[in-house]
Amino acid sequence: MTAATATAAAAEPALVRRPRISWNKVIASAVLVAMGAYAIWSLTQIDFSLYNFQRSLASLGRTIANSDPISFPSVPDLVYLVSLTLGVVIAGTVVAALISVPVAYLAAANTTPARWARVLGRGIGVVTRAVPDVILAMALGLMFTLGSTWAGVIAFGFHSIGMISKLFADAIEQIDEGPRTAIRATGGSKGQEFWSGVFPQVFPSWVATALHRFDINLRGSVILGFAGVGGLGYRMNIDFQRFPEGLGPALGIAIVIFLLCVVTEIISSAIRVMLLGAEPSRRTLGGALMRGLRRGPWRGQRKRAAAGTLTGSDLTVEKAMRRPWTGSRISSTGWACVGVLVVVAGFAMADLDPRQITWNYVWSTFMSFWPPSPGAYDVNTFITAIEQTLEMAFAAALLTFVFSLIFGSLAARNVAPNGWVRNSFRVLLVIFRGVPELVLAIVLIIITGLGPQAGVLALAFGGVGLLGKLIADSFEEVGSGPEDAVRAAGAGRLQVFTSATVPQGLPSLLGNTLYLLDTNIRSATVLGIVGAGGIGFYLTVSAGLTKTHPVVSAIIGIIIVMVLAVEGLASYLRHVFK
Amino acid sequence: MTSTTAAPIITIAGLTKDFGETRALREVNLTVGKGEVVVLLGLSGSGKSTLLRHIDGLELPTAGDVRVLGQSVPSLRPKALRSLRGRVAMIFQQFELVPSLTVLENVLTGALSRVSGPRLGLAMWPKSLKRQALGHLDRVGLLHRAYNRADQLSGGQQQRVGIARALMQNPDVLLADEPVASLDPESSAVVMNLIRQIAAERRLTVVCSLHQVDLALGWGDRIVGLRHGAVVLDTPALGLTKAQVMEIYGRVSTPTTELTAIETELGSLAVDGAPALTGRSAS
Repeated sequence: MTAATATAAAAEPALVRRPRISWNKVIASAVLVAMGAYAIWSLTQIDFSLYNFQRSLASLGRTIANSDPISFPSVPDLVYLVSLTLGVVIAGTVVAALISVPVAYLAAANTTPARWARVLGRGIGVVTRAVPDVILAMALGLMFTLGSTWAGVIAFGFHSIGMISKLFADAIEQIDEGPRTAIRATGGSKGQEFWSGVFPQVFPSWVATALHRFDINLRGSVILGFAGVGGLGYRMNIDFQRFPEGLGPALGIAIVIFLLCVVTEIISSAIRVMLLGAEPSRRTLGGALMRGLRRGPWRGQRKRAAAGTLTGSDLTVEKAMRRPWTGSRISSTGWACVGVLVVVAGFAMADLDPRQITWNYVWSTFMSFWPPSPGAYDVNTFITAIEQTLEMAFAAALLTFVFSLIFGSLAARNVAPNGWVRNSFRVLLVIFRGVPELVLAIVLIIITGLGPQAGVLALAFGGVGLLGKLIADSFEEVGSGPEDAVRAAGAGRLQVFTSATVPQGLPSLLGNTLYLLDTNIRSATVLGIVGAGGIGFYLTVSAGLTKTHPVVSAIIGIIIVMVLAVEGLASYLRHVFK
Repeated sequence: MTSTTAAPIITIAGLTKDFGETRALREVNLTVGKGEVVVLLGLSGSGKSTLLRHIDGLELPTAGDVRVLGQSVPSLRPKALRSLRGRVAMIFQQFELVPSLTVLENVLTGALSRVSGPRLGLAMWPKSLKRQALGHLDRVGLLHRAYNRADQLSGGQQQRVGIARALMQNPDVLLADEPVASLDPESSAVVMNLIRQIAAERRLTVVCSLHQVDLALGWGDRIVGLRHGAVVLDTPALGLTKAQVMEIYGRVSTPTTELTAIETELGSLAVDGAPALTGRSAS
């Protein structure tokens, strides 16, 4: 601003008008308000009354009195079940990651060969994400003998493509184009451009994505047990069928699953921190593990790696032909071996036996899904069910949002009053994330009885673990400059939070909450399987019989439309409030 | 040093390029003979990079033609374009090495046009090419760094790896886009000397864009000045004094619109006691 206009503005302050608000902002705000209102209304629809609660406590007491005490399987049995579960999850995630490479290549704006290919790539992502893995496992169950793992690997391998290919494509879109252009300038083909210029840049983030999905799938593996896929979930299901006596052994399995989830989460987040090159300054469990590792035998090697040059004054080309075993080469080869070993072991542990495939049913099972049809149900049934699912998703999202804002803020370094508070809430969030939603839902159903209450609580509980962490991370990532400036102006802790931290973190807060809503809709569908109601109930009822498979495809079509609508709405809102 | 021979290596005729509303190049005509070392001089945004990118077929012209080594670049089919790019090497301002690959692998990417299929990891490259690449690294004085990650090297070293990658192509033409703009003066001198020596050894045809007059003067055979995407100067470098070039460069590099903008800005600030810029004397 020049001096002249500045003086003019100072002399006549009335001339400064409020800028016009764009229509997009008005509409988007209205949509947000409407969504918030719907969420509040949904929450009031779910009956959380005191009477219900008392009755639930009474029924819980009766159930516990009738059940066997909590017990665990024998050690060899336990090892077998854990390895089977890990195997199915590893194999399924690896299959999905491999398929996601070409899908992401098509879907990324900077590598896609044509517009239609991009639509195809994104479309594959949306469709695979919309088909719940458990429904796929149920529907394909007829092709395999009961308790086999094929359906699980296929279900994970299919459903995970959605998330993995999207994040793979995002990583491709974020690369530095320079090296790739340089490869093109040397005369490299399209394929060489990708493998030499793009792939080395995205590889660490791709592995991190696969690990992230591995964590999610491990939690999902419980529910696959209810669809007849062997492993810990299957055993838990069998125990549950002896209700209420089997409750104790089932809870034992649930504890094992919970511990497994927490342990793998810590390991995989440590590896992710290492891969993405961030110095583990964050005081998370994974970060602490990483620091410990680096302090140990790694530290010396890292120093040598930085100076890992060839030495000797008489160095010749012939001598340089042999690559020396420097620390960095040893560690990268070591990690590569571990990675290959884990994948191979995963497939071995998954126990994929071709004899478990009943070939006679393969083709007929595939064909049974076409054409989609509402079957014996009328349209109104579906509409009511969709309403119920949406209510569950919105009510849970609201609960999650409120609690995540509190927990997540207190878990952020720059918001929490001291390190002790921050660490406690970080650990709490890890525990929240560690409890698979389904285990929660089952426990809650025992308490509250069948119905959407259990579903909402289970979703909200798991959601706090996810959204709370995302909020904490996004608050920690805001620029500290404005916070310091506000603090220097004499603001108190809460004022710094509301005036500097929240305004900066708002766009990612909005984005993450919308993402949560999106996953909630899909999870709410799945919770129908344990009796939470909604569209998932009809999906579950229909998935088990070949005759009703057309209903499954019809419902999946509806879910795709719902997910697409929410995704479209979310990307519109994110765009407006960028 | 070498005079233009009968068949030019690069012929640019009436080249015009628009990016949306902006016209990056206007009716550029340029002929470069075999073994000539040409310096493109101009401010950033004057179209030097765009011109170089057309020579390697990285951009398609809006109008006009670019002929390199006897072939019309814009009309080449993908396969022929690849083999042409193999003969035309390019050095970038930001080096553009793949950061997570080793230095040796980065040099080897210069041979991609000669092999088919993707190459993942050193083990997938034949020994003979590896030996060649190490030889080129030796030539640029970085043999001992062969197995370091590219991003562990300093800027000057990375650019020397860029030169080794160019050598790996065994090129006829070398394009250099502001090769030393991101380097300190000392590394700049090393890199510029290296390019000149290699060009002389291999009788390469070189087109190099620069914005420092000092470097351009003693370095090229010929100086081509660009301004607003048009050629405004094309003269042999031999016999030019620094004063002459500065005078020309001043005209080439300071667009009057920019000057007036600065003058207005300073004029309005003159209230605070800053002296108003008068004419060109301040530069």
